[in-house]
Amino acid sequence: MKRRSTRPRAAAGTLSVRIIVLIYVGVLVGAPIVFVFQQTFAPGWHALLSAIQDPQMDFALGLTAKVAAVAVPLNVIFGVGASLWIVRHPSRFTRVLDTLIDIPLAVSPIIIGLMLELTYASNGWFGSSLAKLGWQIIFSFWGLVLCSAFVSLPLVSRQVVPLLREVGTHQEQTAATLGAGPVRIFFTITMRSISWATAYGVTLTLARVIGEYGAVLIVSGNIAFVTQTLTLDIGENFDSQNSYQGFVGASVLMAVSLVVLIFLGIARNRERRRSGYHAA
Amino acid sequence: MGITLHDVTKYFGPDLVLDGINDEVPNGSMTALLGPSGSGKSTLLRIIAGLNTLDGGHVEINGVDVSNVPARKRRIGFCFQDYAPFRHLSVAGNVAYGLKVQGVARAQRRKEVDDLLSLVRLETFADRYPHQLSGGQRQRMALARALAVKPDVLLLDEPFAALDAQVRSELRSWVRSLQREVGITTILVTHDQSEAMEVADRLVIMNAGKIEQVGRPDDVYDAPATDFVRRFLGPVTTLDDVEYRPHELTLAPIDEAGLDAMIIDVVRLGFEVRVVLVRPDGTTPWVQLTHDEAQMRDPQIGESVRIQVRPPLRPSAVLLEA
Ligand SMILES: Nc1ncnc2c1ncn2[C@@H]1O[C@H](COP(=O)(O)OP(=O)(O)OP(=O)(O)O)[C@@H](O)[C@H]1O
Ligand SMILES: [Mg+2]
Repeated sequence: MKRRSTRPRAAAGTLSVRIIVLIYVGVLVGAPIVFVFQQTFAPGWHALLSAIQDPQMDFALGLTAKVAAVAVPLNVIFGVGASLWIVRHPSRFTRVLDTLIDIPLAVSPIIIGLMLELTYASNGWFGSSLAKLGWQIIFSFWGLVLCSAFVSLPLVSRQVVPLLREVGTHQEQTAATLGAGPVRIFFTITMRSISWATAYGVTLTLARVIGEYGAVLIVSGNIAFVTQTLTLDIGENFDSQNSYQGFVGASVLMAVSLVVLIFLGIARNRERRRSGYHAA
Repeated sequence: MGITLHDVTKYFGPDLVLDGINDEVPNGSMTALLGPSGSGKSTLLRIIAGLNTLDGGHVEINGVDVSNVPARKRRIGFCFQDYAPFRHLSVAGNVAYGLKVQGVARAQRRKEVDDLLSLVRLETFADRYPHQLSGGQRQRMALARALAVKPDVLLLDEPFAALDAQVRSELRSWVRSLQREVGITTILVTHDQSEAMEVADRLVIMNAGKIEQVGRPDDVYDAPATDFVRRFLGPVTTLDDVEYRPHELTLAPIDEAGLDAMIIDVVRLGFEVRVVLVRPDGTTPWVQLTHDEAQMRDPQIGESVRIQVRPPLRPSAVLLEA
C-alpha cells in the first residue's frame, strides 16, 4: 500500500519542481527575450529594414565586432596560458594570480570603468606616461579593448582550470614517450583535452564583451561614430525616447548570442555522439 | 646491453627517494620491481623513462648513457597504471599516434596498426573510443600504443592494479607470453609479490629507496637476503625467535619429538589449511598444511600437538622414489 502511494507522490514532486523551474526560467529569461523580439518585429518589415540600416547603429555594431575580434583572442591566449601555469606549476605566486583573475567578476563594472579611467586617462596615474609616448588609451579603440579584456578576464580560465586538473599529465607524458615534442603535444593532446572548456569559455567571453555596458560607458566616452559600441548605442536610443531603434539593436545583439550558443550546442552534441568525450 | 643503472639518486625536496640504485637489467628479460608503497618503484621507472630528472648517477639503455636524453628520444614504451588513453582518439588513433609522430605514411601506418591490434586481440575494436572499452581492453590498447614505435625497452607501472582478480590473472599470463613473443626488455612495477613471481624472470626488491635483493624469483624466495625480503615475499611465523615460512612447519602427535603446542584455530582455505597454535610461552605460531595432510590428520581445536620443522626435500631423493 505504502509503496504504491509513494511513487505517484514522487512523480508529482518531480513534476512540480519541473514546473517551478520552467516558470522561473520563463519569467527571468523567456519573457524578456520574447518581448524584445516582439517589439522589434511588430511594426513590420519596412520599419525593421530601415532601422537596421541606421548608420550610427551599423558603425556601433562594426566597432563591437572589432573590439571582440581583438579582445576575445587575447583573453583566450591569456586564459589558457594562465590556466596551464596555475595547474602545472603551482606556487605561492600562482595562488595570488588565481585570486587576482577573479577580481573583474567580483567588482561592479562601473567601478572597473572608473579604475581604468583614473589609471589610464592622459592625466592619470599610468596614462600620463603613455600619453608622453603618444598613446591615448581612454576614449579610444584600445581603451575599449582593454576594458573588454578586463571584464571578461576569468571566463576562459574558470572553465579550463578544473578540466586541466582532472585530465592530469599522463596523456602528455605518454605522448612524449611516443616521440612527440612539446609543440605537438600541446596541440594534439593538451588543447584537444581542453577544447570544449575553451570553446565554452570563448562563448562566455564573447557574450560578456559584446554585452558590456557600464565599464565601457566610462572608458569610451560614448562618442558616436568613434567609440560608441552597440550596447552604448542601444542605451542612447532608449534614453532619447528612440526606443524602436533600441529594440532593433537589442535584437541584433541577442541574435548574435543565440547563434553562437546554438553552434556550440550542435558541435558539442556531435562530439559527444562521436567519442563520448566532452566537457563543461 | 639492456638497462644499466649506476648510483641512481633522487630527492623530492629534502626527501631522499632513491638512494644510489645500481642494477643491470639483461636484454630481453622481464624484471619485476617489487616493493611496498612509497619505496620508490614508480620514481625509478619514471627516471628510466626520462619523465623525472635524476639528482645523481646515470642511466644507460643498450650501452648509451641517456641521463640527459629527453623522454621522447629514449626509444622506450611506457604504460601508466591508469593507461592514460588519449580520450579524444579512437583505439586505432591511439595506436597510430606514435607512428604518426615518426612520419610513417598512411597506408603503412594502417597496416601496422592492424597488426598491432590483432597482436593485442582488439581487431574488432579499432573504431571504438577509450570510454567504450573495459579496463582490460584499455590496458591492451595502451600496450599496443607503446609497442607501435618499436621501443627498445617496455616500462609498465602497476599494469594490472586497476583490474579485477579474474582479468588480472588472465592478463598476467598474456603479457608474459607477449613479452616472450616480442622479446622486448621489460620492467614491470608491482607491489604484489605473487604477481611478480608469476610474471618475471628476475626480481628487484626495493625498500625505502634502496635495493634489498636481486635474483630469480625462486632463489629470492628460498634464500631471502634480509628479514625484510623474507617477510615481503611470503608469510612468516616465529618459533622460538626463529622465522619460518608456515609451510616449512608441520604437526606431529603428542608422543613424537617437537615443540609443545595446543591448537586454537583451524582455517580452511580450500587447497591449504592454516592451523593456529598457542605455545606454553604464550606465542601463537601458525602452520600451513596441505589439503590432504589436513584430511589425514584432522586437527581439532583444543588438541595438544607437537610442532616439527619439515626436513627439506632433497631433489635427488624425490626423483629416485618416483
Ligand atoms: N612528485 C613528487 N613530489 C614529491 N614527492 C614525491 C613525488 N613523487 C613521489 N614522491 C615521493 O617519493 C616516494 C616514492 O614514491 P613512488 O611513487 O616512487 O613510490 P612507489 O614505490 O611507486 O609507491 P606505490 O606502490 O604506492 O606506487 C614517496 O615517498 C612519495 O611520496
Ligand atoms: Mg607507484
